[in-house]
Amino acid sequence: MTSQEAGTEGALGVAALREDADRSDTRADVVVAVDCNGADLGPAEVAAGAAIAAGEGVRMILFGPAQEFGQALRDAPDGAIEAVDAPVSIAKSPDPASAVRANPDSSIVQAARAVAEDRAQALVCAGGTGAALAAGLFNIKRARGIHRPALALVLPVPGRPVTLLDVGANAQARAEHLEQFAFMGVALAQTLLGVGRPRVGLLSNGEEAERGSPLVVEAHARLRERVAGGASGFELIGNVEGGDLVSGVADVIVTDGLTGNVALKTMEGVSQTLLRAIRDAAMSSTRAKLGGLLLTPALRGLREEIDPEGQGGAYLLGLRQLGVVPHGGFARRGFARAIMRAEQGVSEDLGGRTHAALARAGALRRAAPASARIASLPGNDA
Amino acid sequence: MTREEVGELIKGHLADELDVEPGAIGEQTRFKEDLEADSLDLYTLVQELEDSYGVRMTDEQAATITTVGQAVDFVLAHAPV
Repeated sequence: MTSQEAGTEGALGVAALREDADRSDTRADVVVAVDCNGADLGPAEVAAGAAIAAGEGVRMILFGPAQEFGQALRDAPDGAIEAVDAPVSIAKSPDPASAVRANPDSSIVQAARAVAEDRAQALVCAGGTGAALAAGLFNIKRARGIHRPALALVLPVPGRPVTLLDVGANAQARAEHLEQFAFMGVALAQTLLGVGRPRVGLLSNGEEAERGSPLVVEAHARLRERVAGGASGFELIGNVEGGDLVSGVADVIVTDGLTGNVALKTMEGVSQTLLRAIRDAAMSSTRAKLGGLLLTPALRGLREEIDPEGQGGAYLLGLRQLGVVPHGGFARRGFARAIMRAEQGVSEDLGGRTHAALARAGALRRAAPASARIASLPGNDA
Repeated sequence: MTREEVGELIKGHLADELDVEPGAIGEQTRFKEDLEADSLDLYTLVQELEDSYGVRMTDEQAATITTVGQAVDFVLAHAPV
């Protein structure tokens, strides 16, 4: 069964999505802006995912080549989906920041602008993290009090998903950035994953507090201070090592974007290589094939649990509204999941929770000094 | 495009990005010392000026602009006629 076939017919496809949709009646009236360009399977697949999400009550504005949305719009409930013809795609641009500014009519920029202008309250971008980050920063802008946005990914570890951030928004980071990333990851884990009191770890090369780069050591000290104050809402377990990314000792693991991206790509490469090797072994002889057939039912459940599409993609945290970036290789089920997670994140005020937690802990980026001080400077016309 | 118009655009941008009252920002206001603006704040300000006035600012030029007044001077001196 292909991912495409499982998108609507598979028992664990729609059922799992509907389970998440049966939330409390505090669900806000949220519109999600969806950039449909850039997906490997094309805009029609993203639109098909949008139709699935629309069936679960999500409202959307789709941006992309509208002539490819046709079937999805016909499948969706009336009024759930608005289509905006935006055929220009900058998903593959090697310089996303320049491309965003040079192409104001591109689908991602129009989608981000819709969020900035409050025509939508969340952004889903099917075609590329760089473009999503650039469009988000320039249009939606950083949330007040946030130093840097972060890209978070929920690693589909069986039994207990792990939120890893930053996985690529900031190649370089300062300790205060990592400090805020911890709060962002905690809010995501609480809001979207239902983890009441997340355990937070800092990715390092040893468990001891004094191990790690100066960045990690300082971030550790900062977080220890925040947690000691009692207002953090999470448990700081200290440093964790690479192997702990999937061991389940932490619910949220914090690192700089370069390290996070390398860790992520390493895990992806290893898992793909392993899966290929297992598949080859299973096909290597008649006995092996029979064994594979016997294992299939047991593995099907595991496959669903570790399927990245189940998590919806990467989360762009720290902007004024939530962004979700599904992997370009997803099928319609994955795009539907991304859209529903975006809606859920807004409905359950992931951004507001983050801000409140940072404020309680005294970890917001400080506002400028009192206006009186600035006004007293010579030459100012306040 | 007057000096006042450019100044208001810059103040509005900074007020929005940094959550500061626009009235508290003047020509002598220093980006880093007075507003605690970071590199990303300044980068987005440069983008705003480029998009609004068509000015092009190199990294070296940006590094010499430390106050609101200097930013206004730059725009007035370099905006295409």
